[in-house]
Amino acid sequence: MVVAGMDELLRSRELTANLVRRDLKVRHRGTFLGMLWSLTTPLLLVGLYYFIFTYIFKVKTVPDAVRSDGTEVPFAIFFFGGLVMWNLFASAVGSSTGSIIGSGYLLNKVYFPRAVLPLATVLSCLVTFAFEMSVLAAATLLFVGFPNAQVLWLPVIVLIGVILAFGLSLLLSAVTVFLRDVAHFIGVFLQLWFWGTPIIYSMTFVQTNSPGLVRALELNPMTGVVVSFRNVVMLNRPPDYKLLLYDAVVAVIALFVGAKVFGRWQKLFSEIV
Amino acid sequence: MGDIAISCVGVWKSYRIYHQRAHTLKEKVLSRAHRYEDFWALKDINLEVPTGTTLGIIGPNGSGKSTLAKTLAKILNPNKGSVTVNGSVSPLLELGTGFHPELTGKENVFLASSVMGQTKRDVEGRYDSIVDFAGIEQFMDIPVKNYSSGMYARLAFAVAISVEPDILIVDEVLSVGDESFQLRCWDRITELRAEGRTIVLVSHSLPTVHTLCSQAIWLEDGAVKEAGTAVEVVGAYLANVHASVAEEAVVAMGGRHGTGEAEITGVAFLDGDGVEKPFFYTGDPFSIRLQYRVHNINTALVCGIAVYRADNQAYMFGQNSAQAGIELQSSGEGFVELTVPSLPLLKGSYLVTLALHDSTITRVFDFFDRKHYFGVRDHPDLPVEGGMFHVPAHWRAGSSTVTV
Repeated sequence: MVVAGMDELLRSRELTANLVRRDLKVRHRGTFLGMLWSLTTPLLLVGLYYFIFTYIFKVKTVPDAVRSDGTEVPFAIFFFGGLVMWNLFASAVGSSTGSIIGSGYLLNKVYFPRAVLPLATVLSCLVTFAFEMSVLAAATLLFVGFPNAQVLWLPVIVLIGVILAFGLSLLLSAVTVFLRDVAHFIGVFLQLWFWGTPIIYSMTFVQTNSPGLVRALELNPMTGVVVSFRNVVMLNRPPDYKLLLYDAVVAVIALFVGAKVFGRWQKLFSEIV
Repeated sequence: MGDIAISCVGVWKSYRIYHQRAHTLKEKVLSRAHRYEDFWALKDINLEVPTGTTLGIIGPNGSGKSTLAKTLAKILNPNKGSVTVNGSVSPLLELGTGFHPELTGKENVFLASSVMGQTKRDVEGRYDSIVDFAGIEQFMDIPVKNYSSGMYARLAFAVAISVEPDILIVDEVLSVGDESFQLRCWDRITELRAEGRTIVLVSHSLPTVHTLCSQAIWLEDGAVKEAGTAVEVVGAYLANVHASVAEEAVVAMGGRHGTGEAEITGVAFLDGDGVEKPFFYTGDPFSIRLQYRVHNINTALVCGIAVYRADNQAYMFGQNSAQAGIELQSSGEGFVELTVPSLPLLKGSYLVTLALHDSTITRVFDFFDRKHYFGVRDHPDLPVEGGMFHVPAHWRAGSSTVTV
């Protein structure tokens, strides 16, 4: 059933593309800078972090933020790198709760594979990610240096994060139809999840200060993704293979569970939304 | 593509009517019982629509027409039974499905078309004709939220009728547009029909179903009451509608009395070809034929006929055979027929009083007071008129001075 669903989804790729295009156009329609906002926001953020961490906290770097050749990576870049990967995941999961209930007007009037809606949400987050990624790449080249061949892992790492996000999106978008609390709950939950992921801190930092927490952090399926993402993008190090493999397994399980729940409940969407 | 475009096997569909729906966790936990009842909107629908058929779905409000249309379009899933559809389906249940107010007309054409299952290549080929049809070339690059409602409707309509699916499912909502929209819509449906596409049309407009559809089904309380050719089903449906209005009146008014020396044995309402029918169109030939048997009378037999409106009991007209100089056979069995060459009555249900009496109406042999009924529909070729009668008349107009 899951496979049949995927097949149908694949056949609706034109509709999916149109919905993604709609999301992106609508987001910046009527603004003066338009699509440039997707670049401006991360640029301003990276500048802000650089200023705060360099001049206010006087944090130069953290233990992990060292390239394989020994160069130190500015903390602002290190932090921003983790944030870019996290934002992709968190915005996809966070906006998925509205993807079905926000499209009631379509569900009631036409048939299309319902999973197109959460998929389009995830994909439009991926487009935003591409903008942030380009700012990150520019900042890394400017302040850190060129990446090495490890950067070829980047698509795999992002894909694992996206599969995890899509699996959760399927689950959450379906559950929200029946229980609207989820939309509120997920916002708080993502905040907690953010602090439970090594974005603003590094794994070595935790290892030194409270080694007992390392195991718990490693259970978080976003840990391996964020750590590996930073490793290959700015540290010229290989991904954390062990954690990344674990994340990939969790992501595939999430996708199957999400698809199963979504597949079972989608028949009722048009009646309830 | 197979011979059968749509097949429904034992389709049941229920809605839960929640007395109080729990939307949040608190409500779910705190309300002891989830109070709802099941309402069966479709009960055991079996249907086979051959490819190329134009199927009309008729029935009173709340009979399940729209639910059936949505089930065929896969928008709703049946609780029991299965719907198999052969080919691509586009439902037209509403104008402007998939439109987003912030997007431009052009963007919306592509978005809405893809929502309705059309590919980009299809739409690119038809884009110019869609714009032509809507007649708003100069506005295609501004957001539709800035359109007037007329412009919006025109564009939405142009997109809706540009779709070319194997199976088109149209709900009557499409017919809310103004007259020229409707005409274009029917033109388009006729075109699609000629191309051999399958069309399912949900409609309240019986003349539409009558003229556009080859087959029809009549739904009543979620079940198929009658299925067959559109002409048959519409006829049966109309007869039933008139019957229900008239029967109420009959219960209130109807009665029979008389000496029984002569007896009415049968009544028939006939059209111009002498075919018995339950309803007629204004302006068409119409006859009432009465069969009778005389037992024992020694005077002239006269037949009287009077027609009343069923809804307000207004007396429309009354005549008898003696006034017309017709003599009735005063022994054995016979018939008498009143023919109206061009029926002047307008749309409605009518009750008929039939009487057999002597020439002075002092002795009444048999008298049916408003027990038989027939229906009249507006003639499709005549303008809709007010009042109860179509009166043949002509108009004249000119400048200030009247010329003879």
